[in-house]
Amino acid sequence: MITAFSIGFGIMLSVTFTGSGDYTYTNMIDMGASMGMGHVTVEPLGYHLKPTLDKRLTGTAKLQQQILALPGVSATSVRITGQAMYASARKSVGGAFIAIDPAFETPGNNLLLRSLVEGSLFSDKSGRGMVIGSKLAKKLHVKIGKKIVYTTTDAQGEIVSDIARVTGIFTTGIDMVDGMLALLPIGSVQQTLSYAPDQATLIAVLIKDQRHAELIRDEIAALPEAKDVAVLTWKKSQPDLAGVIAFDKAGNYISQFLVGLLIAVGILNTMLMSVLERKREFGVMMAVGMSPGTLFRLVMIESFWLAVVGLLLGIIITAPWYYFLYHTGIDLSGTVGSDFSYGGVLVDPVFKVRLFKESIEAILGGVFMLALLAGLYPAWRAGRIPPVESLKTI
Amino acid sequence: MNESSDLKQIVRMQNVVKTYRQGKVEVQAVNDVSLEIESGDFAVLCGPSGSGKTSILNMIGGLDVPTSGKLWVDDIDLSSLNNTELSEVRKNRIGFVFQAYNLIPVMTAFENAEFVLSLQGASKAECRERVMKILKAVGLEGLEHRRPDEMSGGQQQRVAIARAIVTNPAIVLADEPTANVDSHTAEALLDLMQQLNQEQGITFLFSSHDQHVIDRGRRIIQVQDGKVGADEKHN
Repeated sequence: MITAFSIGFGIMLSVTFTGSGDYTYTNMIDMGASMGMGHVTVEPLGYHLKPTLDKRLTGTAKLQQQILALPGVSATSVRITGQAMYASARKSVGGAFIAIDPAFETPGNNLLLRSLVEGSLFSDKSGRGMVIGSKLAKKLHVKIGKKIVYTTTDAQGEIVSDIARVTGIFTTGIDMVDGMLALLPIGSVQQTLSYAPDQATLIAVLIKDQRHAELIRDEIAALPEAKDVAVLTWKKSQPDLAGVIAFDKAGNYISQFLVGLLIAVGILNTMLMSVLERKREFGVMMAVGMSPGTLFRLVMIESFWLAVVGLLLGIIITAPWYYFLYHTGIDLSGTVGSDFSYGGVLVDPVFKVRLFKESIEAILGGVFMLALLAGLYPAWRAGRIPPVESLKTI
Repeated sequence: MNESSDLKQIVRMQNVVKTYRQGKVEVQAVNDVSLEIESGDFAVLCGPSGSGKTSILNMIGGLDVPTSGKLWVDDIDLSSLNNTELSEVRKNRIGFVFQAYNLIPVMTAFENAEFVLSLQGASKAECRERVMKILKAVGLEGLEHRRPDEMSGGQQQRVAIARAIVTNPAIVLADEPTANVDSHTAEALLDLMQQLNQEQGITFLFSSHDQHVIDRGRRIIQVQDGKVGADEKHN
């Protein structure tokens, strides 16, 4: 029973580790996607390696429509991203911009819109509105309604400038984003950069399930309009985030391996003791004709039932714990702060879990297989006990 | 009860040697033994402790293998068999009665006897019929649902005898079967085994230094220092 409970607690630990990973990684990836590049990015060839404004997509409207029609795609945004120098009446600061089409942007798919703390999106009637990060506003000493001149290079590599009025200020909590990023209306930026109305540097594709990013990338790449473009998943477009997640996952796997090892040692110990304690009983069974193979199977069947009981106990003790962590979670903001960022994205300070179906299958299947594997050696030992030796222990 | 012309050699040992290792010392427990046990025998291997009786019995029972020499049980050469094949021989051709009964403690009298039949693949109905018949024959009718710890030593040894004969083995090997019971019970158990031998022709080979057992034997085989000495037949 103790061993069955240890299997159960192992499942609970594994669910906590894996569930936390499934929840946090999905959150981080979705958050990263909503910061500008999407889960899948369509961009000009080579833009990823050298992002200059002379590289641009053409025919974005048609491609955008085709991508939107793909199953699993929840939203698309045509964007122009680039570097710029911002100048207010009092100061000049270097930064970056994302030019967006307000018709396709919602707080749901754009973190910066979700993070608006003052003003609104491009409410300036002249079409020259601008939304900037709170730290950038502070650096430039500007408030809502103030003008900013932004300078960048156009499609031909010429220096161009335009003026915009601050209509909104966002605070994401990520210093780098709040301190250097601005949102601009795509129409005015296209004019400034001498882009045609259907030209942009990227199409950000948001998908319903981040796990299908590779699949959707391949589907987009197969579209006839996507012939001369690059289609990248978030792993390519946000390598820092991908690296952080891969590193964290590796740590998670090591923790889970150690938990699994502890469970396996527990089962091995229990089964081995059980075999050695019944040495005489097994000796009698073999003396009256039970074959070593049958005895091996007998002990393996015991391991099987131990695993089944352990799994059931695991499900029983884990279910309320999982329910609590899924719905309520543990608020860690007192320890890590409410704007804790990792891998360039904000991380939810509430420790929550969410298990994917394949994770549930992997945990239950893995623990079950582990229990059976741990039973192999005791079963082998049982079959190797010479009956004449066992009968001497009377 | 059998005419000598009908007798079949159930056990044949030819120059069997068994050597054990005890640390760095080699101990020769059985030294060049040649012996035949015939169908219907009620034979006793007798001799002092450590003389090699149990080693001979263990080899005949396929629980141990000879270091050298040849050994046939029911015309099967045991010296050439692997563990799985030996277990087949034990299952189908040999019944064991041990000094300490060696019943499975978690099984009832019925289940202990049924277990060996089920190893042979007998059906539930066949098991039930044969086990009940055997339990009745050994005087345990009505006690079939008792576990070993709910029975006396004599009753437990009767269960062991039932388990040994329920599969119709070629030979029953009984290692000191009366050593753990009082003399009255010992006589009753020997009565039972003698009756089974005479009425059903079951071959018994005992290992014992108990005079009660020796007195009942129709064939007394002396074992001393791992060698077979006098081999006398009595009527």
